[in-house]
Amino acid sequence: MQTQGQLVDAQEHFAERAVLNLIEAVKAGDKQAYQMLYQQHLGQVYALCYRLTADRALAEDVTQEVFIQLWRKLDNFRGEAKFRTWLHSVTSNVCVSYLRKQRGWWQRMFNLENSEAMHEVAPGSAGEVDLDSLVQRLPERARMVFVLHAIEGYRHEEIAQIMDMAVGSSKAQFHRAKQLLSEWMGYEQ
Amino acid sequence: MSNKEFEQQLQRSVAQLTKEIQPQRDLWPGIEHALNHEQDSQPKSNSWAFQSMAAAFLMIGLFGWLGFNQMQGGDRTEQLVTVLSEPYQQQKQRLLASYANQPALTDNWQQQVQELDDAAAAIKLALKEEPDNPALLKMLKQVYQQQIDLIERVHAPAWQTI
Repeated sequence: MQTQGQLVDAQEHFAERAVLNLIEAVKAGDKQAYQMLYQQHLGQVYALCYRLTADRALAEDVTQEVFIQLWRKLDNFRGEAKFRTWLHSVTSNVCVSYLRKQRGWWQRMFNLENSEAMHEVAPGSAGEVDLDSLVQRLPERARMVFVLHAIEGYRHEEIAQIMDMAVGSSKAQFHRAKQLLSEWMGYEQ
Repeated sequence: MSNKEFEQQLQRSVAQLTKEIQPQRDLWPGIEHALNHEQDSQPKSNSWAFQSMAAAFLMIGLFGWLGFNQMQGGDRTEQLVTVLSEPYQQQKQRLLASYANQPALTDNWQQQVQELDDAAAAIKLALKEEPDNPALLKMLKQVYQQQIDLIERVHAPAWQTI
């Protein structure tokens, strides 16, 4: 078991080393290296953007914005954390700020928080759950808090900072998200 | 079914979520385009930022002048809307003309611009019903600004701080 663990550690170390080499090349202005870095991390970035926005087209736009900003900001990556972790943090911040800019006034005007989708009849099956589909139906703020906390592992204090809200609001939105998911999954609270 | 069962089911479902999802379209050309035009877009952004500031000062002055002249009800609102709209419409036309031969980062930006036009029309209609509603005027201004931001962003992405 120990040998297997050591092998996994060595593989991870090797993979991280390879990423760091790519990053060094990108910092020197190598666009081909950047394209490789993009290809390696596209799925991870897009998954987070898609879960946060619940909109494929918007998630694609935000993903592009993430990689455009990343090109300029890669100098800020000092290698203190794993690149994936750092990239996750960059993606969350870009995504939240993009959404705030894009949807701020729409939401105030049309009150999208209470969209029709959340009142639709739930699948009602607690056996097999397509969590991604259910998460997409959550109201925007509840969805974003749920994705960041339950899926991405951020603490409420961190979410409060990213989303510019009180820690209590983050907890309340998470509670709301769980209540709705529970209802849609056929559980009774 | 209990809360505990739900929590367990939720944890299982979260653990089963796929870590990576691939987009449906190729995003690299848009990114590459933006990176290649980085040098060109920076001065343009500054130039438009300056023009936006100038437009803002102009509008403050005009609003003050209009207030001074104490216009009444619907007439006043109509003039306010005209004063508010004109600089944005001019800026929008200038932007569209300057980006006419430049490819955009997204395919549906014109549709988004049209949607914002529709929203502006809806707000103007609402202003006829409620001429003294300052929130509607603010919304109209935001819609116009969104259009300007959108046109600039899809042609020359604004670099934000991470």
